[in-house]
Amino acid sequence: MKTNSSICPGCSIGCGLYLLESEEGGKRKVLHRTTSPMNEGKLCRFGTDLHTYYEREAMINSVDGKEVKQEEAIKAAKESLKGMKPDELAFIALPGTITNEEIVSFVSLAAEFGCENVSFGFERFFSVVPEEAAYIIENGLPFSEVEGASKIILFFLDPFVHYPLLARRILKAKKNGAKVIEVSFAKNERGIADETVLVKPTEVERIKEKKELFEDSLIIGELTPYTNPQFLSLMLWLNASTSSRLFLLKPFLNSTGAFLLGRDGGRKDLFEILEGVERGEIKALYLLETDIAGAMLGGEEVAETIPKLDLLIEQNAFRTHLSDTAGITICSEPFFMKKGTVVNVEGRVLEIGGESEKGLGIMESIGKGRKYEEVHEEAKKRLGLGDSEISEFEIAVKREERKFEVVEPKIEKEEGGGAEEEYFLWYKTNPFFWNGIRAKNFVEISPVAMRELGLFRGDVVEIVQGEGKERMGFKISDLPPNLVLSEAKLSIKPLQGLLTRVEARRAE
Amino acid sequence: MEEVKAKMPRYYLAWAKDDAIRKKGANGGFVTATLVSALETDFIDVALVVKKKSVYEGIPVLTNDPEEIKECSGSLHCVPLNLTKYVVEYAAKKRIGLPTKPCDARGIIEQAKRRQVSLENVYMVGLNCGATLHPLRMREIAAYYGLDPDSVVREEIKEGKIFLVSDEEGKEKEKWMKIDELEEKGYGRRDACKSCVTKIPTMADLACGNWGSNDEKKTFVEVLTDKGETLFKNAVDSGYVAIEEAPGKGIETRQRIDAGMQKRAASWKEKMDALKALSRSERFEFYVGALKNCIHCGACKEVCPVCACEEDAKCTGLYDERDSYAISMYNLVRIFHLMDSCIHCGQCEDVCPVDIPLTLIQRRFSERMQRHLGYTPGMDVTKKPPLYETELGWSAEAE
Repeated sequence: MKTNSSICPGCSIGCGLYLLESEEGGKRKVLHRTTSPMNEGKLCRFGTDLHTYYEREAMINSVDGKEVKQEEAIKAAKESLKGMKPDELAFIALPGTITNEEIVSFVSLAAEFGCENVSFGFERFFSVVPEEAAYIIENGLPFSEVEGASKIILFFLDPFVHYPLLARRILKAKKNGAKVIEVSFAKNERGIADETVLVKPTEVERIKEKKELFEDSLIIGELTPYTNPQFLSLMLWLNASTSSRLFLLKPFLNSTGAFLLGRDGGRKDLFEILEGVERGEIKALYLLETDIAGAMLGGEEVAETIPKLDLLIEQNAFRTHLSDTAGITICSEPFFMKKGTVVNVEGRVLEIGGESEKGLGIMESIGKGRKYEEVHEEAKKRLGLGDSEISEFEIAVKREERKFEVVEPKIEKEEGGGAEEEYFLWYKTNPFFWNGIRAKNFVEISPVAMRELGLFRGDVVEIVQGEGKERMGFKISDLPPNLVLSEAKLSIKPLQGLLTRVEARRAE
Repeated sequence: MEEVKAKMPRYYLAWAKDDAIRKKGANGGFVTATLVSALETDFIDVALVVKKKSVYEGIPVLTNDPEEIKECSGSLHCVPLNLTKYVVEYAAKKRIGLPTKPCDARGIIEQAKRRQVSLENVYMVGLNCGATLHPLRMREIAAYYGLDPDSVVREEIKEGKIFLVSDEEGKEKEKWMKIDELEEKGYGRRDACKSCVTKIPTMADLACGNWGSNDEKKTFVEVLTDKGETLFKNAVDSGYVAIEEAPGKGIETRQRIDAGMQKRAASWKEKMDALKALSRSERFEFYVGALKNCIHCGACKEVCPVCACEEDAKCTGLYDERDSYAISMYNLVRIFHLMDSCIHCGQCEDVCPVDIPLTLIQRRFSERMQRHLGYTPGMDVTKKPPLYETELGWSAEAE
């Protein structure tokens, strides 16, 4: 029985846990680590089942579909990258399972080839917010601030679903006397809020009229690659124009590390890169620990776009939806085996707990050839960490509140639609959602919709948008009549944000 | 004609003969020496011990290396682990020896009833247990004592006090406070431990501790089973352990301490039963309010030491995520399924991500049911859980 101390890669909270392995059969089990200050020994469903996440099919080292030794795959990657023009290259890493050290290495690897198209999934937000407000995207807040808040606004966020380990902090805040207000399309079914402000999907901008609600509050929201930039501007405006603070959670564990350490590299929006691939302008892509087709909405579309590349290099511990298409695949180690650090959303620098430098070594073999210690020191320096030992009990990457101004946003309404039978699909994201795992095979609808669609228990509802179509079971929830909630990723891609117009009908 | 065997005395003072073990282990290192001897004399295949990572942290280690057992010696009060599932999942078919708190031993016995493990192969070296603490609460206690939590190098619970020793720049500082006083201020033991009345593991093979010992380097040992007797004899005969018969005064002292602790636990149980004063409808509201927060992560089932159901469990099988009830079938089935078997160890509450007071809820249902049925789970392997659907068709005695 081998016990590995580790961090859950399910979201930006970074829950501590142990992963137990039997030495004989490789049987794995998660052990709750009560000492971890992020989660105090508690885990959500994703964390509790984390051992199954690590049981996916391992990546192989390959060139043009043929299995090769790792050195050969690395050599082929290096040669191929050298042969590309810098503006034809792109590097993408959604920062779920990458360490700070790997980020430093990844950014310098891109720079080594003159590439400025580097994405960690969130670049477009930095171009729409004032520079002084960038800290809100980059840094979160310690949970002690949540527990100590006197008023909390849950801004289109269901903590029980989106970030389950945040929910207990809000419940604690309530015990401490905090008032919890939710601003949402639907009332939280668990009744966590003392007050609910329901917003119609077509009138999100009208929340501006209730600005006074946000005074003296801690606004808690979420930022994902799919967040509508105007929606982010709305959150920032509410924050800037009231005496409130804004805390944005992110779906990827090392988002803070990626934002802070990725600052110096070239930044290119993820969606622009994919459009560049579609147009044939980007010809080679290096994907680090990123199952882009599995993680993104409209993954099928991504899977159709990727073959347009001349070269796809995938560095990953596990096979992805695109591995069959990749010209070069390089096998790295699973996250729990890694030596290195991450920064969680609170600003704690956490050691992963493993001893392997393989993933970093792959990039350094292609790039500068540095040792772990050198890269680690650089990461520490750039994160502003001193010489003191890394401790999970310290909020080492602190955020400094700054004043900034944001133009009052005008949220453009979606064009078209308006038919009575139209519904709005709202994706409620969660750790399974971003890791390409469908944990639920149903959507939630209102009792009114059930009647209107002529649905009975056991029926299947069909959700349609353009060419996207999905058949799902359903659950009846206390929702506005025209809202459909999905915790699972469907073959329906929203135009902006995580809310989109769809048609719903009873499947024949 | 049947041979009449001389019965061993039941109570001893015992200690490790090896000076290093005696020095490092708690109360003279008897438990460590017994496990080391069992391993070295091929009495057991493996030992399951808790390895100290810090004062606040320990991890379960399954080992056949006597040196590793020696490294793991000493008591750890901030590791609220239950070892039952590790025995079941990693060593069910091995001859295994392990130190067990009463709740570990009770879990293992319940698993034996469910044929997950054979008690014949499990040597339970029981440890008297006043309580465990959540490690983060112990850090808070250190801060309350005015110590830097990271500088604490030793902890000890004795005579109703929590002692912490810090080492700041080579200078040791010891601070203590009475547990009662700490708990009045909101610090202290886990709720499940505060209200636990089983302090001496009488269901294990041996029961060890410092209660009744007149020397802090000697362990008071009670031999409880024939298996315990052979394990004890093995440790003595192989030269690892020295013994003397426990003085009558020590036996009385131990009984007095146990009775006092049981009384205190019973009074805590009264004090913590927030549901007692509520009316039936208020209690219902309480259950709905607490259980509606469940996110169905399954962690409570995963860690439950008496749950032997695997993937085909009734609680998960009957639960449909599409149901819209505030209290799900998962929770209802778990409450009812555990009514006769819950040992109130609090493992479920420790891991609940939304802090549902599961010990309180489970206790409310199961304690009354167990009283009604005249059954205390985990105490006697020959007693079938009263709500068990089928006859066990076997007993430890028969085997």
